[in-house]
Amino acid sequence: MNHTRKAFRTTLMLGVLALSMLVSACSQPGAAPSPSGAAEGGEAAAPGTGGSAIGFIFVGTKDDHGYNQAAYIGSEAVEQAFPDMKVLRSENVPETAEAERVMEQMIKNGAKIIFPTSYGHLEPSLNVAKRHPDVAFFHQGGLKTADNLGTYFGTIWEPNYLAGVTAAQMSKTGKLGFIVSVPIPQVLLNVNAFQLGAQSVNPDATTSVVFTGSWCDPGQQANAANSLIDAGADVLGQHQDCTKTVIETAERRGVMSVGYHTDASALAPEGWLTGSVWNWSDLFVDMTRTAIDGSFKGSIYDGKYRGMLKDDVVQLTDFGASVPEDVRTYVLEQKQAIIDGTLHPFAGPVKDQEGNVKIEEGAEPDAEELEATDYLVEGVIGSIPK
Amino acid sequence: MMIADILTGAIRSGTSVMLASQGELISERAGVINLGTEGSMLCGALGGFAVTVWTGNPWLGVLAGGIAGMLISAIHAFLVLACGANQLATGLTIMFFGMGVTSFLGRGFVSEQIVGFNPVPIPFLSDIPFIGGILFNHDPLTYLAILFVPCLWYVLFRTRLGIVLRATGERQEVLFASGINPKLVRYLAVLAGGFLAGVGGVQLSVAFTHSWVENMTQGRGVVAVALVIFASWMPARAMLGAYLFGAAQALQLTVQQQGLPISPFFLFMVPYLLTLAALLIVERKQRSLMPESLGKVFAGDGAR
Amino acid sequence: MKQQAGAAALSPANGMTRGNRWKPAALKTALMLAPFVVFGLFLLFHNVNPVTLYISMIQSTFGDLYGFGEVLLKATPFILTGLAAALPAKAGLVNVGGEGQLAIGALFSTWFAVFYLDAMPAALGIPLMLLAGALGGGLWAAVTALLKVKGGLNETITSLLLNYVAAFTVGFFVHGLLKDPNSFNWPFSPEIASSLRLPVVNGTRLHVGILLALVLAAVTWYVLARTRLGFRIRVIGSNRFAAERAGFRINRTYFWVLVAGGMLAGIAGMIEIAGIEGRLRASTGVNYGYLGFLAAMMAWNHPLRIVLTGFILGMISVAGNTLEIASGLPASSVHILMGLVLFFILGSGRRSS
Repeated sequence: MNHTRKAFRTTLMLGVLALSMLVSACSQPGAAPSPSGAAEGGEAAAPGTGGSAIGFIFVGTKDDHGYNQAAYIGSEAVEQAFPDMKVLRSENVPETAEAERVMEQMIKNGAKIIFPTSYGHLEPSLNVAKRHPDVAFFHQGGLKTADNLGTYFGTIWEPNYLAGVTAAQMSKTGKLGFIVSVPIPQVLLNVNAFQLGAQSVNPDATTSVVFTGSWCDPGQQANAANSLIDAGADVLGQHQDCTKTVIETAERRGVMSVGYHTDASALAPEGWLTGSVWNWSDLFVDMTRTAIDGSFKGSIYDGKYRGMLKDDVVQLTDFGASVPEDVRTYVLEQKQAIIDGTLHPFAGPVKDQEGNVKIEEGAEPDAEELEATDYLVEGVIGSIPK
Repeated sequence: MMIADILTGAIRSGTSVMLASQGELISERAGVINLGTEGSMLCGALGGFAVTVWTGNPWLGVLAGGIAGMLISAIHAFLVLACGANQLATGLTIMFFGMGVTSFLGRGFVSEQIVGFNPVPIPFLSDIPFIGGILFNHDPLTYLAILFVPCLWYVLFRTRLGIVLRATGERQEVLFASGINPKLVRYLAVLAGGFLAGVGGVQLSVAFTHSWVENMTQGRGVVAVALVIFASWMPARAMLGAYLFGAAQALQLTVQQQGLPISPFFLFMVPYLLTLAALLIVERKQRSLMPESLGKVFAGDGAR
Repeated sequence: MKQQAGAAALSPANGMTRGNRWKPAALKTALMLAPFVVFGLFLLFHNVNPVTLYISMIQSTFGDLYGFGEVLLKATPFILTGLAAALPAKAGLVNVGGEGQLAIGALFSTWFAVFYLDAMPAALGIPLMLLAGALGGGLWAAVTALLKVKGGLNETITSLLLNYVAAFTVGFFVHGLLKDPNSFNWPFSPEIASSLRLPVVNGTRLHVGILLALVLAAVTWYVLARTRLGFRIRVIGSNRFAAERAGFRINRTYFWVLVAGGMLAGIAGMIEIAGIEGRLRASTGVNYGYLGFLAAMMAWNHPLRIVLTGFILGMISVAGNTLEIASGLPASSVHILMGLVLFFILGSGRRSS
């Protein structure tokens, strides 16, 4: 009868699906135990004190060989340094008001310190910060602050300049390629730094820039890498969240690459030159300690903190095997000059693509000025949407 | 030179879509539309990548990816053919389910490295000026994919199997008369379609990018479904459509490198707008070619 | 029609055409619970206690006002984009374009809010902004509708493809013409005037948008169930040829139900801007259109039931965060639960609504 046939079908369906679940169970990610109850903090407590957990939210996945992995490694350092604290993490948190809910849930689970690690998490963080004056927020890359929200970032364009120096010295064609996501200041700044570095050793060097419109789309990245290589580029740089595809594609096509966010030299034993990477671990631990101690307010972290090459917050990785000794020596000299303050990557005059002077002769713009970059420098080929 | 680069790029980035569209074509010829192609591609991309990581053998990856794509399309076949579920809604659900399952199971694979397929230039042929570089300097899976198209055409139009498949989509009564169960044919067609979409996913992850990232197909499966209609259910035309889509993607990157003041966001739209325009152009002749039972799905009967 | 004949052949037993009436409540309940059981097994394999999770899911939804507000916030766009799918579905059309229609609705409402409505009092500004959102969503749907009516293109495929175009269009605007001049060149629109923000319930982020969604669901139901217009739409949907013979203007109906659906999705976009986000970003409302479509499917396109299914999907989405924070499983795991719920509903064999 119809009845039993339906029941039979339903059972069959259940079975098939349960079976597929069984198969899926083969891959076993580490699961953590359930959270403890929320700890209530006093109203007047200093932000960040008295919590039982520390929250980290990421915009992507932790194994992207890139932006999120760098921040994730920082969160692991915090986990090790504060064994009594539970570290709560949430990946793939979109840069919308959705992030507010995630942070609220973390606070409910006892977090008094929260690291929103993507630029777009800033406004949701400011909203949550207003509601929870006893929670300390450390936002990555933000340009606005609040009483209990400080921002931190690194001057990653310094190592990117050095990567440009290395690239231009290694390039045979003088044509460099740079694969980027969307035209935001941090991205344009990195492209500019790369080109200025390249220009400093080879005035004829050019950087072709290609936008993929996405932070992590391997298909588009591979297209873009192939397209740049076909057009003659022999060193590829990038500003993407996940960096693996571009570096591997360059390696397979026999051209060189510079890395970004994390050291991915293992992916390209032949073509890896060097990379600009974050070193969040020490900074994250120090920020967390400051907040737990109750000294968040008045510390260097309660405003806009920018770690530089000299602070070891941003780094240039080791060189790849193919980089000869004389190039290494030269680049390291330049690095030392940046650390000593005798070399400023954006020292004027700097001209944009149309030849307009954007940074005057003799001027040395600070981090805050540079973080509002809205142009590409002379020698970069490509255009940004107006 | 530049044209050659764009055409080479078209084949590189269009082959995954092409394979998926051939699979969808088989399924639609038998009268079942499967919007879950995107999900099948994702499962294939992950399955193929994972098995290549484990075994180091990309050919086993192809097999595994095909099977993964087939398994998820089996859910579609079952719900549609056994339970009479709405084809379009089921397909979309498969798409979401595929996204969820693969992003969950794929987490550990994002950072894995594989030795996947690499380009193997064909001796002599790859030396032909212009054409050699475009056609004969690809990975083995791409060659196979291209060779598959005439094979599919032959099977569809020159063999008994092809007649049975097409009759299933057109006139089931004839089949009953000759003692063939049309439902069985449809099951097999949907499974074959899922297998090919899965292999398309493998082409993307193991041959083209050598990477796995969640949701990496980015709508390629949806485009594949649209291309089948554009192609009027003909294998060669579906291939042409897929490579047009690939060419549009390569073209926008080349245009960007010319430094023209065109917003990249407009260029990103080009492949999708081109597909729409192509659909509009071929629409006039396609009605007569549409498998009859598919027409019912589109006319609303299957949508409810 | 043939299809229906086939359906009858599959269920010959009772000779009942509306197969749902006789289905015992027990089986129905089992169908509702089954996906949760299967997902529970899945969780068990990953060392997560499903009972704890389901309890914490219910707790975070009904435990306090904030949590309940969050679920309602999530449900609002799902309900509206669900209606955007359901209304055309009654005429036999498949609108998967809620995603793009929501995005363009958000774009239009932000554009008007930023450039024309910033000095207006709330009583005038908010309704105008709402109209702008409806206009945007309606126009975007009109593209699909025109391609359908004039070009003969299948609306499922075109509305899906246009979703991608819509996303890039929003990207174009937030990186260009609609970029906040004070954003340090970051890609988002200026913030809309505070007078244009929807009133909020104290202690939560919950705004009056949910009420609007409920009203629109009721209106859609009323129109479909109780008016001549609704009758025509349903006739066209259930028997196109009969409708043709009765002299109904089918293409015209197709056009307007698609546009009306687009307007509903566009309103969802406006509510996201005026209610929660306050400004437009490239990522505003991503996936809401697709989830709304699934909400409609779960409700068999019944406008009032969409309120319930939208709420359930809202609950499941919010639970994703709970799951990740509590157990370390990725939030996307709940997509699996959503898929399962839908498989069971789609597979339960009901053919018409």
